[in-house]
Amino acid sequence: MPDMIETKPLVLGLENVHTHIDQHHILQGVSLDVAAGGATILLGRNGAGKSTTLKSVMGLLPVSQGQIFFNGQSIETSKPYEIARMGMGFVPEDKAVLSTLTVAENFRLSMFRETEKSHEKLEGVLDLFPALKKFWKRQAGLLSGGQKQMLAIARVLVCDHTLLLIDEPSKGLAPIVVDQLAESLIQIKDQTKVILVEQNFRLAQKVGSDCFILDDGRVVFHSSMDELSRDKIMMKKYLGI
Amino acid sequence: MDITEITKLEPAGKSNIKGLALAGVIFVFFIIPWIVPSFRVMDVMAKIMIFTIVVASFDLLLGYTGILSFAHGMFFGIGAYSIALILYYSKTPAWYHILFAAGASIVISMVISLMISFFSLRVKAIFFAMLTLALAEFAHILGVQWTSLTGGEDGISFTLPGIFNFNQTLGTLFNTQVNGRLMIYYFILIITIFLFAGMLRFIRSPLGRVLKAIRDNEQRTIALGYKTFRYQTCSIVFSACIASLAGILFAMWLCYVNPDSVFHTAVMVNILLMVLIGGMGTLYGSLIGAGFFIVTENWLPGLLKSLAGLSSDSILLANMASRWQLYFGILFVLVVIFFPKGVIGTIRVILDRRQQIHNL
Amino acid sequence: MTTEPLNFQTRIYPFRQYTGWMIGIGLFLLPLIPMDLTTYLTLTVAGISLGMLIFLIASGLTLIFGLMDVLNLAHAAFFAFGAYAGFTVLNLLNNAGWIDSANLAQSLFYLALALGAAGLAGGALGMLTEKIVIKRVYGNHLMQLLVTVGVSFVIVEILKIIWGVNDEVVPVPMGFQDAFIIFGVFIEYFRVVAIFLGITIFVILQYILKKTKLGIIVRAGVENQEIVKATGYNISWIFTLVFAAGAALAAIGGTMMAIFNQAVDPGMGDQFLIFALIVVIIGGLGSVTGSFVGAVIVGLSFNYVAFLLPKMALGVNFMIMAVILLIRPKGLFGRD
Repeated sequence: MPDMIETKPLVLGLENVHTHIDQHHILQGVSLDVAAGGATILLGRNGAGKSTTLKSVMGLLPVSQGQIFFNGQSIETSKPYEIARMGMGFVPEDKAVLSTLTVAENFRLSMFRETEKSHEKLEGVLDLFPALKKFWKRQAGLLSGGQKQMLAIARVLVCDHTLLLIDEPSKGLAPIVVDQLAESLIQIKDQTKVILVEQNFRLAQKVGSDCFILDDGRVVFHSSMDELSRDKIMMKKYLGI
Repeated sequence: MDITEITKLEPAGKSNIKGLALAGVIFVFFIIPWIVPSFRVMDVMAKIMIFTIVVASFDLLLGYTGILSFAHGMFFGIGAYSIALILYYSKTPAWYHILFAAGASIVISMVISLMISFFSLRVKAIFFAMLTLALAEFAHILGVQWTSLTGGEDGISFTLPGIFNFNQTLGTLFNTQVNGRLMIYYFILIITIFLFAGMLRFIRSPLGRVLKAIRDNEQRTIALGYKTFRYQTCSIVFSACIASLAGILFAMWLCYVNPDSVFHTAVMVNILLMVLIGGMGTLYGSLIGAGFFIVTENWLPGLLKSLAGLSSDSILLANMASRWQLYFGILFVLVVIFFPKGVIGTIRVILDRRQQIHNL
Repeated sequence: MTTEPLNFQTRIYPFRQYTGWMIGIGLFLLPLIPMDLTTYLTLTVAGISLGMLIFLIASGLTLIFGLMDVLNLAHAAFFAFGAYAGFTVLNLLNNAGWIDSANLAQSLFYLALALGAAGLAGGALGMLTEKIVIKRVYGNHLMQLLVTVGVSFVIVEILKIIWGVNDEVVPVPMGFQDAFIIFGVFIEYFRVVAIFLGITIFVILQYILKKTKLGIIVRAGVENQEIVKATGYNISWIFTLVFAAGAALAAIGGTMMAIFNQAVDPGMGDQFLIFALIVVIIGGLGSVTGSFVGAVIVGLSFNYVAFLLPKMALGVNFMIMAVILLIRPKGLFGRD
């Protein structure tokens, strides 16, 4: 029913993006459009190219072909720091915090410009994650897995991002911590657009509004989260659930 | 630019051309003293042969095993000094002294290279390179400061025994004097062929293939069950011994050694340049690299001097002309950045591409 | 009523490190046995001041490696280059006739001028090298080693072209020719200056690294370049800065050495590079504290052994390096 679909502004657009890592052709023509609002989930098997997609968007991997648009600007040839300054934040899969720095220093690092506004934001973020306040002066490497992940996400919240790319935050975390993570993500997505790569389907369901499934370096399915949950065949085929 | 990109296994079909080219080269080396009876030309040819061996042995380590060691010049120097010392200190030099020197230098090189190899297991590649650099500098300082043994910066002069003695002449043949120099030249040629063949065999052997596997992907080779450390040690020791044998030849040709001619970092840098120009991981490239370098080394200073003579007598310009090494250094940097594959390497890439287009 | 098990990993200084310190200090008091106290103190002062010089060149090396993962063998050339820069300044001052009549305060001022010139020259050369050469070989250790060796060679050859191959005598400000005499120990003024300089630079470096935003960025970059880039920092510029800073430090070290030896020669960097490499390996790649401690160790051992068994002096440092590599391959303070 056409008039039920609201056309929301496009935050991120990928057109036929190809990425190579050494000789391997990882992304073989990824095209997707991400509208504003809520959280978009990238799903798929291991090796499908989800992390590679995020890194290509962030500019950390060079794009061999195709185009990427962020808020209308073409960014496939931009450097990561330029993209970050345009308002994109990135939480990588592994090593998402700086373990040799203290929690305080981790935050100071992510505050690109230390203004009053950013300090206010910091207060707000610390209210969201009180545990981090407790370990303020502790070396980040000494935190528990869940706390590290909290820090990883909290770090990027201190800035004014319009888009957050988060790569498998629930990896290796205990279920109860994953639930806490979900709560935090739900609060975050209301303020900033989030693109989440996740293997944990429950978490994806809780948080996401729409999703893309990647397989073999291409987008093979796109729908709202609800629709996917009902489509048992797709879930079985591409997610093995 | 990864080492695996630079080097590849040679397809079998080309070996005929290679064999022919090699035979041709050997023939040229053989015949040259008779065609061009100039000492300078013989000198250049002899040095090319010697350095081909040094560079090839270094390439064995770097291009085929993937280990960068700055100590190679040191082994070269060990060989040179062992024969120099033996011939200098013996009252009546005789041919068996040469064998003795060969044996001694091999033993010393083996011991030191085993020690180096032991350390290479414990540290990362960059550490290892730094360690070998420090060791090589140490050898140089030792050579300079241990004057009682090595004669310090002035070095040692000595004479060769028997038919190699430069003063001896056996007559003239085809317009060329058959003297000790000529004898040594052919001695060097024979040994060079022998050593080069030995290295080729080493590369083509099962041992050599494992080394290439280690170079391409050490983890995978370990996973396959190979004790990579042993193979790497073999490579380090073998190449070190070959380098020291080449050092012996070098000393025999010059009848003189000093720390700067063998232990100085400049020698190591030159070896690196030769490997790079010829192409890493290509044994034949060592011939091209050595040839290019030695010929230019002989010819460039003269050219520069005549160029400098054209302009005014500025000391700066005169200095710029005399320090031809500067241009080599610049060339080295340019080659590293723009032509890391060297001559043979680039040729291979071009041929491969042609092959791929052909196959489409 | 269970007692918490001691978790050695969460303690800041594991027990082992204390015993290490104890052994270290014990070893350094050892040379007191074969020599008298005044000699020991003289050598100690000399050793520490030598260590400070080595620290200057090693700290840059270790930071460059820690941050940029670049092994910069051209550092020796920056050292020599800085020495010549400082030498030029001192020559100019000498020609104006100021060197011979300088008292201590003036000498310090002239020294500051020379060091400033050296630092600027070294920093500029470092920046140039990084932009032209190093940028092209990131990520490839082999090429870096080769290229920096080549650059080093080129720089030294240029020095030879401009100033010739031989040693040049360096005019030393008069004020430094004197010495303190404490408890009968002859302590030259200049050595004290060197120690002071070394400690000051160490403190400044530590302050920058630990307290300033730049330092945080550098330390973060040492650990994880990706995050730093993705946070919005132009890491390329930071690399250039660190490289130039390292070169400037080496250059300052070179000038100090030139004054120490009262001579400059184009090859003076090579010997020092070995010391610096040994120190970096002992101290741990990427650790400024490590290079400070390592430099003191190397400087002291070199001097003690040079007095007792002259031929073994350099060998001793090799042995120390070997021992450290055997028990702690990452170096005393290293991570990675």
